[in-house]
Amino acid sequence: MAAEAFFLPVAAGQRFCLYYAPAGETRAVFLYLHPFAEEMNKSRRMAALMSRRLAEHGLAVLQIDLAGCGDSSGDFGDASWQAWLDDIAAALDWLRVRHDAPLWLWGLRSGCLLAAEAARRTEVAANFLFWQPVITGRTFLQQFLRLKLAGEMLGGEAKGVMATLKQRLAAGEAVEIVGYALSPALAQGLESATLAPPNRPGRLLWFELSSRADATLAPASQKCLEQWQAAEFSVASAVLPAPSFWQTTEIEEAPALIEATLAALQT
Amino acid sequence: MNIREEPLRFACEGEMLFGILARPEQPAGLGVVIVVGGPQTRIGSHRQFVLLSRVLAGAGFPTLRFDVRGMGDSSGEKRSFEQITPDIAAAIDTLRTACPTVERVVLWGLCDAASAALLYVEATRDARIAGLCLLNPWVRSAATLAKTQVKHYYGQRLLQREFWTKLFTGRLNPFAALGELWRKLGQACARPEQPLGFQERMARGWRHFPGRILLILSGNDYTAKEFLEYAAGDASWRGLLEQNGVTRCDVPDADHTFSSQKWRNSVENACIDWLKRNE
Repeated sequence: MAAEAFFLPVAAGQRFCLYYAPAGETRAVFLYLHPFAEEMNKSRRMAALMSRRLAEHGLAVLQIDLAGCGDSSGDFGDASWQAWLDDIAAALDWLRVRHDAPLWLWGLRSGCLLAAEAARRTEVAANFLFWQPVITGRTFLQQFLRLKLAGEMLGGEAKGVMATLKQRLAAGEAVEIVGYALSPALAQGLESATLAPPNRPGRLLWFELSSRADATLAPASQKCLEQWQAAEFSVASAVLPAPSFWQTTEIEEAPALIEATLAALQT
Repeated sequence: MNIREEPLRFACEGEMLFGILARPEQPAGLGVVIVVGGPQTRIGSHRQFVLLSRVLAGAGFPTLRFDVRGMGDSSGEKRSFEQITPDIAAAIDTLRTACPTVERVVLWGLCDAASAALLYVEATRDARIAGLCLLNPWVRSAATLAKTQVKHYYGQRLLQREFWTKLFTGRLNPFAALGELWRKLGQACARPEQPLGFQERMARGWRHFPGRILLILSGNDYTAKEFLEYAAGDASWRGLLEQNGVTRCDVPDADHTFSSQKWRNSVENACIDWLKRNE
């Protein structure tokens, strides 16, 4: 069955949503939280492929384009971390009215940071599916700012770019990076975001992808997973050999990730 | 002008495509279908297509942008820009059904979507198509790539002091460096592949297209340079850029995807001016 596309009205406009109705009885519901800026475009195909498979297995999926992202109203430059958390709350309300089934927050990259923070703030009982999670917002922001640096270097003007960027953000000014205006509010929210576990334990499935067949979890990921375990989450993780589809030049698929995710959900 | 955005779902050869219609309060008789190419979705790099569709609808032109089969939210297998004529046809039908005031349609495409738009008019001779808005059209083959490289990269390098310094101080292997240049020259001079390639079909689409064409080229883009080289040197393209009904707009300094608000605005303004003149 094809997804249902609609705009969810929110206080500050409308958010594009796709709802994949489950085949048969609803075993669980998934809220998909997309990654940042261009990573979202690159991974849209994989999100669609996974959602279709989940729906076939009786798992409902709601995808929401956050404020200023994808087809939603507003401009990326007006988005803030808080606005995104508000959007997630609205999406959870929409799901709650329709389903009384276990909830999964499914994040890709920085979407995982949003999932953890939304759950910590609302105390919603949730399980978590993390795809290539960003562990600290601070490092991620730094990497995003570096894209600007790379661009300037090609133009031969790299000197002091990073310092200037940070000064401008600190002075409350938006900066434009690879076509996206980044507001100070969004930069601050991202900078302070962490993957710390919420108080209400559940399940956590953690998948990373690597170009190497024998790759193992990075020490930072391992440490983060231990944190979730200590918070009494039931944790499972795997590293799969597959392309980094959120950043490849062409649109890539990672069928191994889809199959591994489905298999982990069956157990 | 106020606009409303509506999600639309429509079929194409058994697959389900997703698109967004930006609908003006008072729609013009001319609508726009944004064709998406390359590794992109209906949103466009840094949301270019979202923002563009809102601006065009704000100027009165109903605009539909959509994911072709196998891309973004649409179902099906991925396919190349040479195979999306049915997707474009389905989108035009959908726009006209959703917006019955729309009688004529402009196809808008960047990179290989510009090529796909030309291939569409070549294959269908669809009388509903009033205009084509083509940005940095894609004509790449091994020969065009090599030619552009020789001219813009190796040409520049030969003038650079650093190249010769490296060559004479032995930090650059002269045989490898000159061998590579020689190989590129060989490729550049090779005859284009037979039979009729997509570039020739694009040229035929352009030549016989009875409507208007707006050609927008980025000043800082290899694909645009390659297109100009190709159009200047290939027999099938002779005279096409100077043909009646063709308007050319250069956006100095812009990169391939117009990745800055000022470049996006230049594109938006050029499109609106041209659409209004052809309404």
